[in-house]
Amino acid sequence: MQSREGWVMSMLSKRKINDGIMTGITYGSSFISLVVLLSIIIYVFANGIKLLNWDLVTHNFEAVSYIADLKDGTGPGNFTVDRDFDEGIYYSEKWGVALKDDTNLLGKNVVVVHYVHPDSPFKELNNKGVGTVDLALTLDYEVIRIAFVDSASALSVRGSEIMIAILDANDSFRELEFSTTGGGIRGSIVTTLYLIFFTLVFALPIGVGSAIYLNEYAKNTKFTRLIRSLIETLTGVPSIIYGLMGLAIFVPLTISLTSATGGNIISGSMTLAVILMPIIIRTTEESLKVVPDDYRYASLSLGASKTQTTFKVILPNAFAGILTATLLAIGRIIGESAALVFAIGTAIKDQVSITDKSTSLAVHIWAMMTDEPANIELSTTIAIIILMMVLILNFTIKILSKRFMRRYGVKA
Amino acid sequence: MMKTEKIVFDIKNLNLFYGETQALKNIEFPIYEKEVTALIGPSGCGKSTFLRTLNRMNDLVESCKISGDVSFNDENIYQTGMDVIGLRKRVGMVFQKPNPFPMSIYDNIVYGPKCQGIKGKAELNEIVETSLKQAALWEEVKDRLKESALSLSGGQQQRLCIARTIAMKPEVILMDEPTSALDPVATAKIEDLIIELKQNYTIVIVTHNMQQAARISDRTAFFLLGEIVEYGDTSHVFSTPDQKKTEEYITGRFG
Repeated sequence: MQSREGWVMSMLSKRKINDGIMTGITYGSSFISLVVLLSIIIYVFANGIKLLNWDLVTHNFEAVSYIADLKDGTGPGNFTVDRDFDEGIYYSEKWGVALKDDTNLLGKNVVVVHYVHPDSPFKELNNKGVGTVDLALTLDYEVIRIAFVDSASALSVRGSEIMIAILDANDSFRELEFSTTGGGIRGSIVTTLYLIFFTLVFALPIGVGSAIYLNEYAKNTKFTRLIRSLIETLTGVPSIIYGLMGLAIFVPLTISLTSATGGNIISGSMTLAVILMPIIIRTTEESLKVVPDDYRYASLSLGASKTQTTFKVILPNAFAGILTATLLAIGRIIGESAALVFAIGTAIKDQVSITDKSTSLAVHIWAMMTDEPANIELSTTIAIIILMMVLILNFTIKILSKRFMRRYGVKA
Repeated sequence: MMKTEKIVFDIKNLNLFYGETQALKNIEFPIYEKEVTALIGPSGCGKSTFLRTLNRMNDLVESCKISGDVSFNDENIYQTGMDVIGLRKRVGMVFQKPNPFPMSIYDNIVYGPKCQGIKGKAELNEIVETSLKQAALWEEVKDRLKESALSLSGGQQQRLCIARTIAMKPEVILMDEPTSALDPVATAKIEDLIIELKQNYTIVIVTHNMQQAARISDRTAFFLLGEIVEYGDTSHVFSTPDQKKTEEYITGRFG
């Protein structure tokens, strides 16, 4: 038989082991989540940082290509320059043009124009495509193809060195194809900002209004409990189902009301608003609940009406919660893709119109990844831009709200 | 002491239920103009509930049912079609815990008048100054009216709440244990203020502090288990009570 002291000791050591295991689990889980989150961020930055530059944000997605040939009376000459070009840049003295290998915004290998001699025939070219305006080859154009009369065409895929060599070997060319740099995401950024704006315009008043009704006016009946559980259920519905709803209801609705002919930013915003409403209602209601009843009583005892109490005292006090709802909403708008594929489509646009098809940044990633081959680098670059957008918006809203709170007299 | 003897509130046969539980039983007594009426009794005896029937704040409790007659200046305030907002304007209330709004001192005072549609800047400034002066707070806060009301001390906050009520120019001020959350110095200031305010307002005060009731009130009602055990002049109730229960409570033998 065990002595009493021995029993106490064994209980103590047992408890020690139990405590150790439980503490170990909590330490371990937080370590795992930290590692996972960090590795995602590291992965995104490691892959995407290469293509990250300001041009990506400001440039159009569609590249405009031109086809041109030599003007009468122009041709090769001797265009010497008293400068040295860096390694990897090839200059043709005969034609007065320097080309180099580069990667464009999409991460594809291209041949770009590095320098054109002032007297070069490439300064003034005959437009063979649409339009009659003369063309000129200038800096940063991508040279796609030069076709000759009696030798094989020089293609950009073979690199700038070979292109210059072929050019030097010929005295004239039949056709030159070049284009502006494409692959920029300006249009998708504009679409995303439009979506944020319109979705909040639709969702915030309705969501906050419903929350006020549920918390301040509705009696605690079976019916309101049913509405609450329905709203809770809606937060768990996959967004692609909302996308179908957008396609079935909001797209036809916007087509009949506006000049839209298919999915558009308005129908997309409406769909997102429906997705966000349960989140906004829940978050706002929670923040209305924690406003002390003391304020309600004080306001009513001063002869204020219920509506005055709600809008002058309760709502400003719930402001922090409504702000949280807005931040959550913005995150969701920027991140949503499945529903938008249906509700506004996947067409990447440079000229964004609110009644036209276009694409948010998240769907832009989807489009890049469904390309053949999938463009992982550009996708991760867009992911970095999305992260930065969310950060900037969060900070802006927090600063604005601090100002508001100070004016209202709340110590933030 | 000469009393005006005009009845402001006349309560007759008042019964109040929270669901199935009866919280007030056959309450009957008058409240006189420009007097302090103290409601005393142990916790849960119904005095705060009674106080809230006088400005119909019990309406906010869904399960609350009331029968009987509460007349305010000869008008039954529980009759259908009663203007409750108008009633609360005339019967102000100060709560147990100081509850200024998280706004500036100025905005706290003008909240009520603004809700009534008073917009003139000069008129609002005037209201702020007179109510703060009446609440003996003006000298302490006149240079920082735009600061948050939450930056004031507890006692100052409670006087601000009184000033906020005065700004509505009520006839009656209901006070629900207004000093229970305050220190002795702040309590003394509020008590002085109540005696001062008696000249212009009818005051009904719930208190757990026997000395306070004896010091500031003209008449006292002793509540026990939802019933009035004794009602009368404070001097009478505290010196020679008619009921044994009253004496036991006042002398601290239960409560």
